[in-house]
Amino acid sequence: MKGTTAHILRRAARSLWENLYLNAVATGVIAAALLLMGVYLSVQYNVDRIVRTWNQDVHLSVYFKPDTPEDERFALRDRLAADPRVAAVRYVSEAEAATWLAEHVPDTAPVLAELGDDVLPASIEVTLAPPAADMDAAIASFAEEIRSPVVDSVDFGQQWTERFHAFLSLLKLLGAVLGTLILVAALFLVMNTVHLIVYNRRDELETERLVGATGAFIAVPFIVEGVVHGTLGGGLAAGGLWLVHRLVASRLQEAFGLALAGQLAFLPGSWLLLLSLAGVVLGVGAALVSVQRFLAQAP
Amino acid sequence: MIRLYHLTKTYGDLPALSDVSLHVAKGEFCYVTGPSGAGKTTLLRLIYGAIRPTAGKLLVGGVDVARLPRRRLPALRRNMGIVFQDFKLIPRRTVAENVGLALEVIGTPRELIQRRVAAVLGIVGLRGRGGEYPPTLSGGEQQRVAVARAIVNDPSIVLADEPTGNLDGAMAIEVMEILQAINLRGTTVLVATHDAALMKRFPYRVVRFEHGRKVSDG
Repeated sequence: MKGTTAHILRRAARSLWENLYLNAVATGVIAAALLLMGVYLSVQYNVDRIVRTWNQDVHLSVYFKPDTPEDERFALRDRLAADPRVAAVRYVSEAEAATWLAEHVPDTAPVLAELGDDVLPASIEVTLAPPAADMDAAIASFAEEIRSPVVDSVDFGQQWTERFHAFLSLLKLLGAVLGTLILVAALFLVMNTVHLIVYNRRDELETERLVGATGAFIAVPFIVEGVVHGTLGGGLAAGGLWLVHRLVASRLQEAFGLALAGQLAFLPGSWLLLLSLAGVVLGVGAALVSVQRFLAQAP
Repeated sequence: MIRLYHLTKTYGDLPALSDVSLHVAKGEFCYVTGPSGAGKTTLLRLIYGAIRPTAGKLLVGGVDVARLPRRRLPALRRNMGIVFQDFKLIPRRTVAENVGLALEVIGTPRELIQRRVAAVLGIVGLRGRGGEYPPTLSGGEQQRVAVARAIVNDPSIVLADEPTGNLDGAMAIEVMEILQAINLRGTTVLVATHDAALMKRFPYRVVRFEHGRKVSDG
């Protein structure tokens, strides 16, 4: 057994060395495919992370009807403040709302001055404690509970949230389709490259077959080569991904500053391991298909 | 050892062998002769399972080669030594590695391969040449490497396709003497050749083919 393993490894090492260029191409194709997959996974991973962070900061604006008496507004504020699901509440009067808008959108200041202080509705800004599960449902049901005759509307960005979730679903679907296409294209390219390696050695393999070599004797070293292609390709892709991450993260953080600080993370080790495993599967799969194709035609 | 019953092989509409029946006994030395295109090489290729007959039955050591599944071909070939007309030596492997290939595929330990290869290279007159590569050898030397590879695993059948085709007179006689010696040890030897002088010098049974048909046997 020890002798057989050593023999297989020796044959694989020899083939790798004798077909260095084609083996480098096969490894490069796997690395490129995995890098593309890795970039997609990184985007997905970081979007998920950022969404999770946003979920920690759930915010609602409760707008009062214009003629709501002040005591009823404060009563609602106090009721909300006492709710265990609420982390913080802040009452914003019509005048405070107008001042905030004038400060943040200076172009509106003259219009607001002309229309008066009470043009914007008073509101209660509610920050919810992070819900344990199903954030969307929790907010929707909380907003429903708040609705009363004094409340004009409750804004928790429902429309925006729905659009954002639709965008995320589309991103995931697009990623899955793109990922599948990349993997199929990579498999095709790697298969053809390995096929070239097999073709390069066809005289030798035919002779082996004619002197009594079994299919396994011929195939196993190619499988070992496939493992080497996949592992090296995975390693190269991980390295490339790290460089891309460094480059993109620093550019994005320069552009968005504190908004992204500490939020862009590199893929965790387990994800990188899965990516490398995908490379090995790709390498071995391509080797098996190519060798099978040769064996089916060999004398 | 080798039995053919009404064996026919056609390529499309072209018959390569037509209705050939033949029996080569265990330990026999037999020539298959005839002009180019007579079907000599086709016959050998059928015997080692590289091609399948169109009709008829072919038994080698009791095994029906025509019906043998592809996965069982290695077992059939491990019991044969084949000297190919074009040698089929691997240029990137040394002489010793080429000769040892027949042992390597059956998982023989390296040390044993080295010992067997050295002994066989001695038999074919290439002692001490194991480290050289086939392209650096003459045609005759390459032919002898091919013979060495065919006999290294002590096969019960040796098939040789024009084994002296590339050799001068003295070298051809040496190779024939090697095949004769193998035959004397009990190995069945089937040689495809059109070298009449050689057949006269080493007289054995001669089966003659013309246009894919057996025309004489004796």
